[in-house]
Amino acid sequence: MKMNTKLLRLMAVLTVFALVGVACNTDAETTEESVATTDATDEVTLNQSGGRLQTVIDRGTLNCGVNDTLPGFGFIDADGDNVGFDVDFCKVIAAAVLGDAEAVAYTALDSGQRFPALQSGEIDVLIRNTTWTASRDGSEQANFMPTTFYDGQDFMVRADSPIQSIDDMQNASICVLQATSTLLNLNAVFGDRGISFTPVEFTSNDELQPAFVAEQCEVWTTDASGLASFAATLDIDTRILGNVISKEPLGPVVADGDTEWAQVVKWATLATFQAEEFGITQGNVDSFADTDNTNIRIFLGLPIEVKDTDGNVTGEEVKDLGLGLPADFAQNIVGQVGNYGDIYQRHLAPLGLARGPNAMWSEGGLIYSPPFR
Amino acid sequence: MFQRVGIAVAALVAIAVVFLVVRAVIDRVTGRDTSDRPPPWRDINVLHWAAQIVALALIVLLADWLWTNFRDRTDAIGLVLNFDFLSQPSGVSIADNALSPNAPIRDAIAQGVKNTFLIILLGIPLSVILGTIIGISRLSTNWLLRKLATVYVEFFRNIPVLLVIVFAWGAVFLRFPSSAGQTAERAWRPLNGWFIFSNGRFAFPSIVGLDKFSTYRVIIVVAIIVAIAVLIWRTSVFNNTGHPHHRVRYAFSSFLAISIISFFALGAPFEMSKPDVVERIWVGGFRMQMPYVAIMLALAIYTASHVSEIVRGSILSVHKGQVEAAQALALSGFQRYRYVVLPQAFRVAFPPLINQFLNYSKNTSLAVAIGFAEATSIVFNLFGQSQPAPQLLLILMLVYLAFSLLLSLFGNFVNGRLQIVGR
Repeated sequence: MKMNTKLLRLMAVLTVFALVGVACNTDAETTEESVATTDATDEVTLNQSGGRLQTVIDRGTLNCGVNDTLPGFGFIDADGDNVGFDVDFCKVIAAAVLGDAEAVAYTALDSGQRFPALQSGEIDVLIRNTTWTASRDGSEQANFMPTTFYDGQDFMVRADSPIQSIDDMQNASICVLQATSTLLNLNAVFGDRGISFTPVEFTSNDELQPAFVAEQCEVWTTDASGLASFAATLDIDTRILGNVISKEPLGPVVADGDTEWAQVVKWATLATFQAEEFGITQGNVDSFADTDNTNIRIFLGLPIEVKDTDGNVTGEEVKDLGLGLPADFAQNIVGQVGNYGDIYQRHLAPLGLARGPNAMWSEGGLIYSPPFR
Repeated sequence: MFQRVGIAVAALVAIAVVFLVVRAVIDRVTGRDTSDRPPPWRDINVLHWAAQIVALALIVLLADWLWTNFRDRTDAIGLVLNFDFLSQPSGVSIADNALSPNAPIRDAIAQGVKNTFLIILLGIPLSVILGTIIGISRLSTNWLLRKLATVYVEFFRNIPVLLVIVFAWGAVFLRFPSSAGQTAERAWRPLNGWFIFSNGRFAFPSIVGLDKFSTYRVIIVVAIIVAIAVLIWRTSVFNNTGHPHHRVRYAFSSFLAISIISFFALGAPFEMSKPDVVERIWVGGFRMQMPYVAIMLALAIYTASHVSEIVRGSILSVHKGQVEAAQALALSGFQRYRYVVLPQAFRVAFPPLINQFLNYSKNTSLAVAIGFAEATSIVFNLFGQSQPAPQLLLILMLVYLAFSLLLSLFGNFVNGRLQIVGR
């Protein structure tokens, strides 16, 4: 009986200590949270609307969401590094903001994970062959940056398949990835033409590719660039139909609500377009240090002459464009990664993808940057 | 958080004070002798209650902290915590299912639950039967049979179930001939085309009702009732006279007689429909997705390895004297198992078997790895379309909880019937 009471007393004392201990441990982190919640909701939105640029600078690394199963755009090479067209744009943003193109932490995401990861703040920017559509802009809390690749949805079949065009696909089984604009386009286009089909949905290309090779489905549909890159890696003979049924503008994506960060990402991307327009490549960027072209000097963040009202040169200063980026961000981008043409040449030309709509506007394409001034 | 802890401590102190005051008042009013009562901090009756109340306060504090944390984060990312999204178009299409991508999300989830139910419906009986056979084989006197069963059990029990599923799909069923082409020319058609196997779908013959089929169905039900009646009659004859009842023979033959006679009397009210592929559309017969077979068989094989161990343990638990007595009565091996060992073993085996049923039903969620559209697959698909995750996860958990509770209910009912009364 005595032992029991002693034990009970000890237990009661311990539980009180535990209570106090819980309070003390969570005090440090929860005071910030209670500040966030007990104040008005403006506090919460302020957390959301600002600060990502500063967070990235403080962290020293850019968290970039990429693909790891799409050769040419986002892939893991033999050394285990992330390479690709989209991956290079992650490096572009890191070079602009942090001055170091290699200061990137890559997160591989499949099509179903990409928007939740962006919304939760796990990644700072999503560069993963994501199509810009109205519903994604609106209901996925996503903010789309300038399009870096104009693509379209196409179809691939085995070389010996009797299917020649969409009209031959009545009731065919079509492999497609879940949670993509691809599936929505299929439903829309095939529904309009009255062609029914059997969709075979997968969560990632790693599952889709063996199914296509094993002929669980007769047709594989995704963006034309993706088909070109897969056709190069598959062992079987395939044929791409050339029936482009949609517009698929691909580009970087940031989360809604942070205009400062969106501005940074946008102009870092546009800098690659402008660099190609000016003819500044990774190889010759250093030779532009003493150019006379004022626009190029402003673009590269080189000092320009300041003239007083009489036209006399009073000094030199570096023009601050007010984007929140260091003045020489364009130099870092082009020097460490390259201009748009360099990036395209490095990753997409080996796949046999001609520039097409992705040429500079001066050559009849759609790559156009607003002026940097 | 700090203020919440403060409130909790203050509440506890207030409760303690109130209790002491009330107790003192009651003591005064009833004139109770409190001379040998220890002070409250040493009084075991008080401490019992105090410990319970403090524990409750801790649990409430923890739950409150978790909930406020959750609400803060969902508010910060603008996630709305209601179930209105269930009526939005799902954008999910399921193979071989009439569900339209424009149907509301709750319909898509319902189809997923139906598919899960189909896996469980056929898979659990299959795994029990297979597991029982393997379990008995492990105790066989035949060396080869014993060793084969042991290898089977030790292999499948010791690898993750996901590997079994992925292997069954990727290495076995995906290697079936393709169903490509207008008439699925390459698909495997055994028995002169009455069955079609391909790596996407398979089909087997089904019954198609013709004229007067509904009448025939009623007659079948009547035949079953008659068979049961015959069963009971023969059992009572056996009980009264001791003549061998042969009740299964009697019941089955009466059922067959009624069905066959009425089949011809009604002029063939049904026919077998042969499956075929016309212009890529599969018509006739009964069609199912091949991934369904893959997940059901893979899970059945895996669960059977666990069931066999349970069965083996339960057989070994039957008293050796029972086996010796059966042998002394010159019962054959089969009779010994059928009448002596297995009835006693089954009683012991059933509670762990219920556990395996629950494992089976939860393992069906791994079908997401092979693309079969059961409940978890569809919910993950919806996640990818940015439908709110907390509510969807809650729905998914409730689905599996419902399946588990139903299986446990059934299991406990059978268990109750198996109990030996008044032992």
